[in-house]
Amino acid sequence: MRIGTLKESYVADAALFDSATQKLWLGAGAALLVLFPFMASDYWLYLACLVAINVASAAGLNILTGYTGLVSLGQAAFMGLGAYTVAILQTRWGTPFLLNILAGGVVAMLGGLVVGIPSLRVKGLYLAIATIAASFIAHFLFANLSITGGTGGLAVPPASVMGVALDTSFRIYWLIVPVTLVLLLGAANLFRTRIGRAFIAIRDRDISAEVLGIPLLRYKLLSFGLSSFYAGIAGGLWAYFFRVVTPESFPLQMSIFFLAAIIVGGMGTILGSILGAVFMTMVPELLKFVFDLLPSTGHDMKVFLSPVRTVVFGLLIVGFLIFEPHGLAEVWRRIRRFFHLWPFRN
Amino acid sequence: MQSFQLSKTVSIGRRSLMIAAAAVGMTLPAAVHAQAGEDIVIGGSIPMTGVFAFAGVGINAGIADYVKIVNDAGGIKGRKLRYVPEDTAYKVDVSVAAYKKITSQNKVNLYYGDSTGFAKTINPELERNGQILMAGASFATELNDPKKYPHQFLVGPDYSEQVGILLRHIAKEKPGAKVAFVYSDTEFGRDPIETSEAAAKKLGLSVPIKIMTPPGSVDVSTEVIKLRRAAPDYTIFHGYILAPIPEFIQQGKQMGMTSKWMGTFWTMDSSTVMKLGEAGDGFMGVMPFRYYYDTSAKAPMLDKIRAMRPEYQSTAYTQGFLTAMLFTEAAKRTLDAGKPLTGDNLKAALNSIKDFDTGGIIGTPISMPGNSIPVGRVYRADMKAQRMVPASDWISVGK
Repeated sequence: MRIGTLKESYVADAALFDSATQKLWLGAGAALLVLFPFMASDYWLYLACLVAINVASAAGLNILTGYTGLVSLGQAAFMGLGAYTVAILQTRWGTPFLLNILAGGVVAMLGGLVVGIPSLRVKGLYLAIATIAASFIAHFLFANLSITGGTGGLAVPPASVMGVALDTSFRIYWLIVPVTLVLLLGAANLFRTRIGRAFIAIRDRDISAEVLGIPLLRYKLLSFGLSSFYAGIAGGLWAYFFRVVTPESFPLQMSIFFLAAIIVGGMGTILGSILGAVFMTMVPELLKFVFDLLPSTGHDMKVFLSPVRTVVFGLLIVGFLIFEPHGLAEVWRRIRRFFHLWPFRN
Repeated sequence: MQSFQLSKTVSIGRRSLMIAAAAVGMTLPAAVHAQAGEDIVIGGSIPMTGVFAFAGVGINAGIADYVKIVNDAGGIKGRKLRYVPEDTAYKVDVSVAAYKKITSQNKVNLYYGDSTGFAKTINPELERNGQILMAGASFATELNDPKKYPHQFLVGPDYSEQVGILLRHIAKEKPGAKVAFVYSDTEFGRDPIETSEAAAKKLGLSVPIKIMTPPGSVDVSTEVIKLRRAAPDYTIFHGYILAPIPEFIQQGKQMGMTSKWMGTFWTMDSSTVMKLGEAGDGFMGVMPFRYYYDTSAKAPMLDKIRAMRPEYQSTAYTQGFLTAMLFTEAAKRTLDAGKPLTGDNLKAALNSIKDFDTGGIIGTPISMPGNSIPVGRVYRADMKAQRMVPASDWISVGK
């Protein structure tokens, strides 16, 4: 049982990691992330990289939707902007990959600032529809500009460090996971600052926020910019990971995927972004293992069970929404609370 | 992982190295022996769910059936074929995950991929791996490049070649005809258009109009009016499965158009064409394989399929079946030559195929000098008989 945490200053009270136990677990998690590539097969490494990219993008969307209350269905388009920026810089000029990824984030951020302008007049579903336009415009540009390679897209050479190409899941893991961790740390810290608190105030009641002296124009656009910056970085990592970028790589369904991830994970929490992205990416894969355990899984059986698996995944999402509308992050918090208070009842 | 292991190996001492070498030496004959008897694995990223499931289910059954035929006959030089499919829902990231899962758990020699996007994405990995020969559901012209895609091939003509076959037929049937292209605004739809326009001109045909529609569009009345004004003798649809082809045909006929309507492979399954209804009578298209019910010539392999599965099997099934047949032939030729089953050897064996008899699945002997089988035939819909009937002989557009 955890009896209490003594805090003697405001700085300690606002600290990101506030107890020795928490730091211990984080250390263990970090050690696991370092050791994981040496223990896992190529398949699990691939999934780890994919999860990390999705976590980065979901965290960005959570800043906008979960923390600022602005619904967006343009996250995939912003990822596309980041991915194409990286692809163009890498194929045309061969600039350093970290610079390319950063440029991907900046270009997506600029796109986000433009798309965010309607957020000053419209909210909720209306804003979501306005952001869908971003997906269509981006798709049109990707498919029709010569610099983007038209419908065939662009093949991206691998990122390389001192002549070593990051062309395997093992190697690129060391790029994707650290970048995602930095992004998550940045997002977590953001909500300890005035900017983050302003976002939350806008989400809770934008008129009140304005009365409190928060300029809505600046902060709503800032939220859009930050969110799409995250998407752009995730898109850049995506480009180096898959190494082919086409207009069909970033469909509208992908934006819905990220929205579902933060809803399932928990809106307005960084942990929710992580858990949601892990859930949405990993559960369909893990269900394959579960279904493989069923007896007589021949080829015809596989054809029969595959749609059933999809239905089960859908039911799991619906189940979470009904039984825990605050998402997986809340489930996690309850589990933590149980252990904090154990052996007493909460 | 490899780089880590490499650096570790470099740092170990000479004695350890000798011990390791001795250990490898001792285990090597056993490994070679194991390889001689081990299964030949066909992996598959198969879309059993999602928008392409209508084809994926057939492809899966086609591959599984041919694998069964080969194994029942004793395998390839005593080695059994083992087919390991995974559902992909027709998503590239899931397809890659399926590839990684299957290749992590099995020593894969041959692989079936479900889309152009997957074929392009996995190509660097295939090159790096060097042990796998891949084919798939894509007929993208871009993949028909042995230099860029040395370990892949197409089971049929690429999309440009498919339209080329239709154009050859048109040029023979009505020299100097006007041909319109209607295609979707996708990579799939745009694929053959530029090259086909040039090919039409070479054949003395004119292309008065090209119409691009959004994918999945339903209201095409404006486009039909444009098409009617151009008054083409033939209209070739590409980049669709079905919609909006029925809308084009019905509205075009109502407006008095006399154009003949044509499609490419993914529109041409019998069950798809029959959905056009009465308006689709006479609809033509290119098909690289004989239909399940085509008994116009001797086809022992089709007889075998009909015996195994008495109900109609789609053209996607036939494509999967033929893919497994070509995989088997490549593996057989490689083993006959006493070579290991590597990507290079399998591809070289595949390219050595000349005048190969597919058992009547393709009605003419095939050769595979490059990445495609540039042969096909024009079939026409007979709505009364509810069947596709041959409208041309087999046409080769090989260079």
